[in-house]
Amino acid sequence: MKEIPANNLLELAYDLFSRVKNSDFEYVYRGNFSQRMSKKILNLAETNVKNTVDQTSLRNRIYFIMVEGLQNVTKHGEESVDSENTGLFAIQKNKDKYFVTTGNIIKKENEILLRPKLEQINLLEKDELSHLHKEILISGEISDKGGAGLGLIEMARKSGNRLLYDFKPVDENETFFYFRTEIPNQTQNQTNIPSINDQRSIEDIKKLHDSLDKENILVNFNGQFNRENILSLLSIIRGDMNAGISSKKVYNVMVEMLQNISKHTNDIELEKQNRGVFFMSKKQTEFILTSGNYISVERTEALIKTFEFINSLNLKELHAYYDKILLEKDMVTENKTGLGLTDIRIKSEKLLKYKIKPINEKLNFFTLQTSITDID
Amino acid sequence: MKPLILEATEDTPEIYFNPAENVFRMAKSSLPENAIAFYKPIIEWLKEYGNDPNPRTRFDFDIEYLNTASSKQIFEVIMLINELSSKTQVSVVWHYDVIDEDMLGLGTRFSHLVKVKFDFVAYENDDLEF
Repeated sequence: MKEIPANNLLELAYDLFSRVKNSDFEYVYRGNFSQRMSKKILNLAETNVKNTVDQTSLRNRIYFIMVEGLQNVTKHGEESVDSENTGLFAIQKNKDKYFVTTGNIIKKENEILLRPKLEQINLLEKDELSHLHKEILISGEISDKGGAGLGLIEMARKSGNRLLYDFKPVDENETFFYFRTEIPNQTQNQTNIPSINDQRSIEDIKKLHDSLDKENILVNFNGQFNRENILSLLSIIRGDMNAGISSKKVYNVMVEMLQNISKHTNDIELEKQNRGVFFMSKKQTEFILTSGNYISVERTEALIKTFEFINSLNLKELHAYYDKILLEKDMVTENKTGLGLTDIRIKSEKLLKYKIKPINEKLNFFTLQTSITDID
Repeated sequence: MKPLILEATEDTPEIYFNPAENVFRMAKSSLPENAIAFYKPIIEWLKEYGNDPNPRTRFDFDIEYLNTASSKQIFEVIMLINELSSKTQVSVVWHYDVIDEDMLGLGTRFSHLVKVKFDFVAYENDDLEF
């Protein structure tokens, strides 16, 4: 059986995971941004917002900013010739703040148009913003990019905060436009003075985007792996791939990996249950799936044994072992026999890669990685 | 006997077991994390059906996706169907997407482990999404 191509994704899993605290989440998408995908991308974001925000008005403001931002990426993505995986959508929750970030390539001349608009919006007070909004509505002045001005003003109003942005040159004609909105859980008074935090905030997402870019990570989810989130993640992957046997294999392997996260974290502290990280990347012809989660120290040895046993089997033995588990009677508890791992190994035709990182006397961090060769 | 009819959800299959119509069908996706709990009433129902089955019973499996927890439970269902074959005429029709070698493989695996006859029927899926 083939080895998974060497990479540092096993280490990256913990780096990404440790960015986020227990009740928070981080979800980044940089796959394709078709209209059809937008709904699926939003779905996972909305589920997480819904589960963490009680206040309807705040929820609606976050939804508005997400939809507006996603529309910008979709619009620009469809214009660009080389649209594959160039967009960015991220939603993050950090304590009592939400951050929505979008990114897309724009022409240099549009950067020149955008900069003064953004600067102007950031200088205005709340009532001035709504005045400008009305003015543009009445005068019907629409920018050449389908009223981008109005959208920006609305996003600034809904976030109740300064707009964060940055431009990163791509080549002599194009630039990558980062646009970030910070939505505090409680409406604060808007301040016009750029703070150090603003700069940190935008640098942080740029750094994250860089590392996802480098590994060509299409989807990264870091948070609660409950039923709703797992199903949303699966539907993103389902929508993001072409019809074909490799896609089906990716889907099936993903189901096992995602459900494993909640299984493994069952017996640990309540606030760490279901917590994990999952990302999918594409390198040459390989879809690489990586998951990471805490497991209890007591269960680690048994888990390693299962992995080593399953890795020691050849394909024929794997099939025989699968049959043996099926025929086993009296399996009253949810299977812990490694049927899922056996299935992953058969479908991926590769050895299971894993890594265990000690965290404290009770917990280890466990990373699992597998890959599916794209033959479609 | 009362039919067992369950509508499909995003992660549980459609179940249509209706002795009066002599239709027994399972379709769509089966991905529940707790597959044992989901399949328990289905297994109970089949056990009871085994007490007074129709003279001919055909089970159609038309499953798109399933997790391994479900595959273990569906095998339990198939073993009950297999037991039925000593009392009455039983057959299994295993439907699969023509490109899905894994789904065909799973049906073949099941068929090798029991006596009841399996027919394999491939269909073309022209869905945009797989």
